[in-house]
Amino acid sequence: MTSPPPPDPEPFRAEVREWCRTHVPTGWRDAQTGVSDEEFVSFQKQWFGELREAGYAVPHWPLAWGGGLSVGEQIVLYQELAAHDAPRLVLAFVAIHHAASTLLAAGTDEQRARHLPAILDGEIWVQGFSEPDAGSDLASLRTAARREGDAYVVNGQKLWASGAKYAGWCLLLARTDPGAPKRHGISYFLLDMRSQGVEVRPIRQATGESHFSEIFLNDVEIPATHLIGPENGGWQVAQATLSAERGMTMLELAERLGHAGFTWLLDACRRPNAEGLRPIDDSLVLDRLAGFETEIAGLRAMCRSLAVRHETGHVGPADASVVKLYYSELLQRMTNFGADVAGLAGSTRIIKPMSSGWESGAWVLDFIGSWEWTIPGGTSEIQRTIIAERALQMPRA
Amino acid sequence: MNIDLSPEALEYGGLVKRALESAGGDGLLRTFESEPERRDGVISPVLGELGAWDLDPRGSGDELEAAAALCRAVGYWAVAYPVAERLCRSATLESDGLVVVADVAPAAAIGGSDLRWAAVTLDGRRSLVTACPLVESPRTSAFVARLMLEPLDDDGADDVVLGVLLPCWTLLGMLDRALDLVRAYVLERQQFGQPLAAFQGVQFQLTDAEVERAGLEELAKYALWSVESAQPASLRDALAVRVAAIEAADTVFRVAHQLHGAIGFCDETTLSWISRYSGPLRRLPFGLSETLHQLSNRTRRDGLPGVFSGGQGQ
Ligand SMILES: Cc1cc2nc3c(=O)[nH]c(=O)nc-3n(C[C@H](O)[C@H](O)[C@H](O)COP(=O)(O)OP(=O)(O)OC[C@H]3O[C@@H](n4cnc5c(N)ncnc54)[C@H](O)[C@@H]3O)c2cc1C
Repeated sequence: MTSPPPPDPEPFRAEVREWCRTHVPTGWRDAQTGVSDEEFVSFQKQWFGELREAGYAVPHWPLAWGGGLSVGEQIVLYQELAAHDAPRLVLAFVAIHHAASTLLAAGTDEQRARHLPAILDGEIWVQGFSEPDAGSDLASLRTAARREGDAYVVNGQKLWASGAKYAGWCLLLARTDPGAPKRHGISYFLLDMRSQGVEVRPIRQATGESHFSEIFLNDVEIPATHLIGPENGGWQVAQATLSAERGMTMLELAERLGHAGFTWLLDACRRPNAEGLRPIDDSLVLDRLAGFETEIAGLRAMCRSLAVRHETGHVGPADASVVKLYYSELLQRMTNFGADVAGLAGSTRIIKPMSSGWESGAWVLDFIGSWEWTIPGGTSEIQRTIIAERALQMPRA
Repeated sequence: MNIDLSPEALEYGGLVKRALESAGGDGLLRTFESEPERRDGVISPVLGELGAWDLDPRGSGDELEAAAALCRAVGYWAVAYPVAERLCRSATLESDGLVVVADVAPAAAIGGSDLRWAAVTLDGRRSLVTACPLVESPRTSAFVARLMLEPLDDDGADDVVLGVLLPCWTLLGMLDRALDLVRAYVLERQQFGQPLAAFQGVQFQLTDAEVERAGLEELAKYALWSVESAQPASLRDALAVRVAAIEAADTVFRVAHQLHGAIGFCDETTLSWISRYSGPLRRLPFGLSETLHQLSNRTRRDGLPGVFSGGQGQ
């Protein structure tokens, strides 16, 4: 018995194209260069609103909650958005991916009903997992939550929380049983960032931006109804969030890399210099480009197949790690090459528009930014460990 | 063929390193980024006292080696002051320093300098330079300024080799430092109940970086010998060093950042500063592809003798 053929996405492509033509704001790159936090946030919220109106903001969510596009349609959507150089949903990223997948996987009906529509209305989320001494060894986290009546009282410090300064809600891991083995004493909470005792301090980065923050938690009360999953069962819930970060988010990023990043790289290589010479006519350059094209084709195929397996519940224990590792290292090499061929223009103008992707065409900055990719959501070394132990069944080191 | 630096040159490099440390060490770059106009007033006298500005690297092998050791020490502290570029000033031009530029859109990390600068292309075309004022803060520009050139002559063949080579010694110093920093970091930072350095996966990355750095060091010494002994292939040797330097920098900084984890992107770590200011040295006058292109064109034409051929080109 064969399954029916997937619906032809071409009419859908025409629809998205038409929508992009009329909705992607022209000149947003210039308008988003060097803007204040407020302008960035308001632009992101407005763009999110437009996508939501069209049904394009959360295509990967179940139909009942406002999504429901097939994997094939999602790919078409991401391709067209990238090809039309649409802004990315940077601000809503954690909300629509990590928060949503956590709520869908482990939330109660009330929790879903409270937050999923709110996310569609623009609720911003941050992930509060890492701590100063708990990076790769996340399970050693020390932020403590003590049950007192109907609430938990939380004390501790979170680090590297991306976008915390904009967030209304936080996905929080805290230790509820200090006596249990490391992974068995952790619980997962939904924390309202406006609660008393929450303090956010932005961290300044090498690029001059403050992409992430420290979060200090001082006797913060979290209602017990905001525990997600069982008490002391937070580690398992967190795996769902992390695998969303490693896996499903890649579908969009891979199409971006293919339909925006690579196109710009080609443009840069086709641009004649003052002497009329084009980098693309150099065989060294051509070799590299061909190599990237091949790798991107591989990446896109892997992401598609991962998304399909995700839908059918057949994801292998290390599949998402393979994709994340592949993407992040490819992005690094590609942006490095971009910085190389962009030459001087890439060296004196070191500023990139907000709301752009990991490949913005400001190659030098993109390259610096790409280094960050091999670290969050489990570093490349941790991904390799997962692949070795869970896919290849190697002994644990 | 002895390519090792003389003991005197090594000692001199050590002196410079200590003098810069006393003058502020890592704090120098931090000061200069926020107060760029202080660079000359701080660095010129410190190095002047050590005779840096009297060195004539084109004059004798000893002085050339001292100049290389000096650049390396300056790179170690990443002081973002054009020392190599001052040292390789032309013997036949009225200027305080020399930068190698690409044929198009010339630029160099000499923004905000009051000195008189000259420029030379790989083909030996020389010009006088006016640096455009820095439009962006050093934080984002790393002192890279566009240059306006007033053409002079085509006699720069003798100037260009050192112009390519000495900045590679500065970059080598930065790689020395990046490795020192990451080594210290992985010995100290603990995860999973042990120092990161105890994981073999961490050790292997560090060793890969060290192998790159050590390879660059040997090649840089070889090219110095090539210049000292006036080998016909010295420009190609210098370009080969530049290729190795860019590749080594890619590996060393990638590993150093990766092993620092998230903290490596924050200005609390010296690595963040060093890698930011290594940018101009790696990208200007041109990056890896163009350097390879230039090298392969010249090699196709003239061959590349290399370390083990007794030093004779074809
Ligand atoms: C851009 C960015 C955004 C981030 N956003 C968030 C966020 O929103 N929320 C959040 O909670 N966290 C966030 N993080 C933090 C991220 O999850 C951590 O940085 C990551 O888990 C690594 O921890 P660490 O930085 O402490 O590095 P460490 O764990 O100290 O690791 C340092 C180096 O040692 C290696 N290493 C560690 N253990 C081993 C081992 N056993 N074998 C081999 N190598 C090993 C690592 O791979 C790494 O290269 C973000 C980080 C970055 C860079």
